[in-house]
Amino acid sequence: MRARIIAVLAYAAAGLTLAIAVLVPFVLMGTFARAVAHAGLHVDASYSGGTVARTFTRSGHQIVVYEPVRPHALQRVDPFVQIVFRPAASLPAHVSEDIDLDGDGQADVRVSFTVPADRRARPAGEVVALNGKYQSFRMPGSYSFSKLMVQSGDAVLVRVPLNSSAGLVR
Amino acid sequence: MASRVLARPPAFRSVGRSLLLTLPIALWSLLMFTPSFREPGRDRHIGSLAVILFMTTLFFLMMRTGKTYQWRRWFFVALGLLFPVGFIASLVAVRGTMSIPVERMVSGDTPFCYMVIPMLFIPAALARTIIFPGSILPTANNPHSIAIMIGIWLAMTLVVGKGWCSYVCFFGGIEEGFAAIPKRARIGRSVRKLDPRLRLVPWAILLFVVVLSAALFEPVYCMWLCPFKTVTEYPAVHSVETALQMGIFITLFAGLVIVLPFLTKKRTQCAYFCPFGAFQSIFNKINLFEIRFDREKCVDCTLCQTACPIMALSAESIREGKTLMNCMKCGACVDSCKKSAAVWHLKGTKVALKPERARLLFLYGAWAMATMFGGSILANSIATMLHWLPVK
Repeated sequence: MRARIIAVLAYAAAGLTLAIAVLVPFVLMGTFARAVAHAGLHVDASYSGGTVARTFTRSGHQIVVYEPVRPHALQRVDPFVQIVFRPAASLPAHVSEDIDLDGDGQADVRVSFTVPADRRARPAGEVVALNGKYQSFRMPGSYSFSKLMVQSGDAVLVRVPLNSSAGLVR
Repeated sequence: MASRVLARPPAFRSVGRSLLLTLPIALWSLLMFTPSFREPGRDRHIGSLAVILFMTTLFFLMMRTGKTYQWRRWFFVALGLLFPVGFIASLVAVRGTMSIPVERMVSGDTPFCYMVIPMLFIPAALARTIIFPGSILPTANNPHSIAIMIGIWLAMTLVVGKGWCSYVCFFGGIEEGFAAIPKRARIGRSVRKLDPRLRLVPWAILLFVVVLSAALFEPVYCMWLCPFKTVTEYPAVHSVETALQMGIFITLFAGLVIVLPFLTKKRTQCAYFCPFGAFQSIFNKINLFEIRFDREKCVDCTLCQTACPIMALSAESIREGKTLMNCMKCGACVDSCKKSAAVWHLKGTKVALKPERARLLFLYGAWAMATMFGGSILANSIATMLHWLPVK
């Protein structure tokens, strides 16, 4: 009797599996995806750039400054701050801006670059640190997740590495 | 006597009954691909039509002959061969290169790959962080977002368990394609005599990449060990480190996916390397379907062991009437067994009582998934090839 009950349950479960297979493309895939999306997960800040700290509005474009990204102890990415200039289409041919990254009212870096006409090309330019908290660099040159100057979608994205000796700022 | 030897073996089922059993899959295929006929583009229509016919015909042949492995292999090898073609063509069309520029990684446009899933759990659980450069929700540039792909994986894993490796994984299809080329294995016997502890290597790699990925907050397997980066996408080579990564990808692909499968007729990468395969084995424990051996019929001829593409059978396991945990339910052992001792089995029921019923229940789910996921890839790849090749 017990074996029969187990067998009936097994067939019922197999039927349920088939129902899952049928419902996947219509209902379940979206349900599972929504569950993942609502789990409060976020893409690691070394890829996404982290969260927005403040936005500066200029004539025709915006400058979005992100919170400093602090990698975990063993992560092979240096600390950085992301700055996004958007929309790229509204940027002047040459951009040169002094930007306050830490919100203390003082400019921290001067970002200068030429916006390329080809949306796949990388902008040429430089970041000049105006104090010891940040690192200067020039592009084209070596790049990493924490030292970048690229076009990304309809924006120019700049990542300024923090000086590890200077400590991190909020 | 000669005519008896030459005569075709009796069909497993009548044509009419086979057609009747194929009808649900034919309708499913139509349901899956009808929307693509509403979209413009003759190439896409041809691709969809070809896939509907292909998947339905193969299922019919499974029903008619009672064989699973040989017909499933047609689909699986086609998937393995056509996926890189379609994927690479679309990458080249969009980016002009197979490499992932850093721009795409920081903008969340990297398509999600299921191989990374085992590495996501610890960082997601401890820091709510996904250590992959994609986007959680679909975007215009990246419809294959993390949430969608994890949703697909979860649903399919519930249905097929480790059958993922023989009905869904296009990477396995590439390997199975190379294993199918030679008529006989050159070093098959030596592989079967390998130390059985080598089957633990994928588990060791799984543990290694999961722990290291959690520590470094980066998908270590994808960045350093995935052989299939060679035929999909890889970080742009701009430093010694990225050049080294590329060298490892190519070496592993050449050795484990081309040369060894060709020499052994086994899926050596799946059997001895793939951490995702090891991870999927865990879900065999909760999946309802498995292969078992009727000990009353088994004569220990080891034909099944020879046929198994991923060494999921050992003499001990056969004596116990079971497969090993890494069985991917491809059906090779069942098809090769001359005594009908290897059977499909629904857990909770008596072994070998209704094996064909268990096979049908599994195959309907597995083939529906294969049509939905693999079929879409095949249709896209065919459409891409028709678009790019000068055949019009």
